[in-house]
Order: sequence, then C-alpha cells, then structure tokens
Amino acid sequence: MTAVLRAVLSSAFAGLLGLDAVQAGQFLFSRPAFVGPMLGWLNGCPMEGARLGILLELLYIDFIPVGGVVPPNGTAAAAVGVLAYSAGGLAPSLSFFIGMAAGVAYSPLEYRQRAVRSAWNARIELQILAGKSELKRWLAGSLLAENAIMGAYVLAWAALCRGLALLPGLGVLYPGTDFAYSLMPWLGLSGLYFRFRTQVYKK
Amino acid sequence: MSMENEAQLKAPAAAPAGLPLWSMFLRSFFIQAGWNYERYQSLGFAFTLEPALKRIYPDPEKFKAAMLRHLQIFNTQPYLASFVVGNVARIEERAAAGEADLKNLPGMKQALASSFASIGDRIFWGRLKPMTVQVCLLIWSAGGFFGWLFTGTQETVSAPLLLGGPLAGIVFYSAFAVYWRWKGLAAGYACGGASNCALDTFNWPRLIKALSAAGFMMSVAIALLALGLLIGFNCAACAPRDLLLKLGLPLAVLVLHRVSRAFGRSVFFAAGSVLAISLLLFSVLKLEPFKLYL
Repeated sequence: MTAVLRAVLSSAFAGLLGLDAVQAGQFLFSRPAFVGPMLGWLNGCPMEGARLGILLELLYIDFIPVGGVVPPNGTAAAAVGVLAYSAGGLAPSLSFFIGMAAGVAYSPLEYRQRAVRSAWNARIELQILAGKSELKRWLAGSLLAENAIMGAYVLAWAALCRGLALLPGLGVLYPGTDFAYSLMPWLGLSGLYFRFRTQVYKK
Repeated sequence: MSMENEAQLKAPAAAPAGLPLWSMFLRSFFIQAGWNYERYQSLGFAFTLEPALKRIYPDPEKFKAAMLRHLQIFNTQPYLASFVVGNVARIEERAAAGEADLKNLPGMKQALASSFASIGDRIFWGRLKPMTVQVCLLIWSAGGFFGWLFTGTQETVSAPLLLGGPLAGIVFYSAFAVYWRWKGLAAGYACGGASNCALDTFNWPRLIKALSAAGFMMSVAIALLALGLLIGFNCAACAPRDLLLKLGLPLAVLVLHRVSRAFGRSVFFAAGSVLAISLLLFSVLKLEPFKLYL
C-alpha cells in the first residue's frame, strides 16, 4: 500500500473514530490512547503510535466536555501526531507537539459545525408539521459531515507535515523537542494526580 | 432510599410493556447526534423518544404535537439521559391514557436533566474517564511495556498488548456507561413521572466518593511506579549530582503544572512552556542535551 493511500485511509478512519467523541456511542474509541496505537498499527509503527497516543491522552484528559464546552479534540491530536511521524517523516517529538496543536486548532471547526446545526431546528419542526419525520436523515447527515470534516482535517495536516519535513535545517529543532518530549510523561502524570487529588480533598 | 423507589429501580426491564425499550436503548447511543447551540441535545432526545411516541400516539396529529414538544431545549449528561427519556415516555403514556396532564412536563424534564448532568459529569467525565487511562497504563506496565514513560527508547512488544491496554480501559468504562443507559431507561419508566426520579434511589455521592478514592490511589501507584523506574534506570550509572538533576526535573514539571493551574492556565500552557525553554536551551543556545533515562 502506498504511503499516500495509507494516509488517506488513516484519515478516514480517524474521522470515523472521531464520531464516538460526541455524536455516536461515546465508548471512548475516539480517545488518543486508542486512536494512537490503532493508527500506529495501520501505519506500521504501533510502538510510536501507542507512545504518542498515551502521552496526548494524559494531557487531553485535563479537559472535560461539560455544559456544551468544546474541548480540544483528542482524536485529531492523536491522528495528526501519528501521521506526522509515519506519513510526514518527522521525529516523534516534533510529531507529538504538532499533534497537540492540531487537536487544539480543531475546536473552532467543531464549534462552527455546532453553530451551523442550530439552523436545522426550525426546518425540522416545519417538516414535522408537514407530517414528515426525517430526523434519522438529519442526524445521519450530521454524522457524515463531521466524519468528512475530521478526515479532511487530519489529511491536510499530514500533507502539511510532509512538506515541513522537506524544509532544510529542521533537525536543529530536534534536541529541544526531544528533551521537552521526554518530560511530557511527567506533565501528564502530574495532571492525573492533580485531577484526583482535588476530588479527594474537596470539602 | 425509600422502599417504593427501591422497588421501582429493581423493577424488571419487562415492566414497561408495550414500549419499544430496546429500540429506544439503541437510539440513546445517538442522543448527542446533531448537538447544536440553539437547543443542545434536543434532536437526539426526540430521536430516542420517537419509537415510544409513535406507539403511544397512533393519531398523526397527536404524534406531531408530541414530537414538537420534545424538540425543545434539552441538555444533560448523555449516559444518564436515559433516566429522563424513560420517565418522559411514561408521563406521555399516562397523559395519553388520561391519567396525567402534561402541564409540569417541561419543568420536570429540565430539573431532572440538570440534576443528572451534574451527577453524570462527576461520575463519567470527572472520574471514570481518567481511570481508563490508569487502567491502560497499569495493563501496559504489567505486560512490561514502559514505552509510555521512556520516550525515545526502542522497545518491541506485541500488538495485542499495545491495543489491549486502551481496550481494557474502554471495556471498563463502557460497562458502566452501557449499564446506566439501559438501567436508566427501565428505572426512569418505572418512576412513572416522579420528579425525584432515581435521584434518591441510588447513593450517588457514595459512588462518586468511592471512584475518587480509587482513582487517587491508582494515580499514586502509577506515579510511584514511574518514579521507581526513573531511579532504577539511572542509579546504577549516574553520579549522585546527575541523579539529583534527573529526579529534580520531573518535580520541576509537577511544580510548573501546579502553578499553571493556580493561575487558571491549562496543561497546554505548561507543555508550551516546557517546549519553549527546551528549544531555547538545546536548539538556540545549543547546550549539550541529555536524556532523562539512560
């Protein structure tokens, strides 16, 4: 399988897994801890995929989707991180930070989709008044749109990373990114610790 | 817990005879589909309730009116939404039979949604979700994969172990989520329209407290394991000064994260700060880099 085809399939798969975050299921198949090793396995780098996935998960676990807040997207982060490494050819450390940024940058897109869907309510009401109940179609459309947007988003980042890898002198960044990357497990573990510590000591 | 409510919660799923519970249960997995800022989960809520309304109101006009009633603002925690769905289905059923009126339905629906949102967010998003990561890390560690901690090292472990860690977390989490989706539907229906539906039939605070304690203990266990590995991998070949530095760095990261939180900054601020300082020291000033692990 060519690298391009693999990147396209991985992006589409990321789009599918991304639906689990909000719109369908919420079994946590969309979490970076699963998306990372899964896409890593599909792209021939399961170890690095697992590592990128779990480290992104440890940072992204800090965000909770309460009250309609749009948190940074962990699926996009892990998928972009793995593809930046496997398809883009970047170092794992740089791929990690690019993935982290891609997850944050996805939030406005998700916000926009939710805002656009607001206009659907009146149209659905009119349909019901006219005796047609096509809720299933509207919801299927919503799922398809999000799937397509996420897939295209991940693929665009993968292409961007491929271009970035061609830049001369990129290697100068690696000593810095490698060192920062080696500290990320500790940052993630501290997040996990603080999350439960706050809960246990809450009065 | 009152005896009556306890009996309601223990009522068999077959109690709501006549309503397509199974279909509603499957549709409840899409309760957040079409989420929007105008009416939140209203589309998913109406979609979940639709099979019940079709059964309750064979008259198309009454069905239309019922659908429009439930396309209004609705928002709660998706897993515990089932309690509200079941309860509302029962109220509609009783109203259709002339046993109840729908005057209080919107207010009660809103109150239950808010209560279950608060409970569900604490249980699922605040406790169980982070615990899935802990389950994954503990399974990986038990299987000998410490690659999550040793960035940059070359390791090879089996694909089943790599996928098994996160899958175990997902199974652990989904067991709770699917159970409450189903249980909520049956228990909500059994409430028969009570406004305190299932809120006092289960000791939610006790469950929340127990999950917090379990999560905290697992966090401490994982942190100690990581610290032990850090020392174990360095103590044999490191001078005391180097070892101190390598132990001090994770501590510095922890302090940085704590300070970020104190100032209301997210973990990304801390991560960005670590990256910026590292780039400055090792990429710009070109200090000799060193690895946290030998």
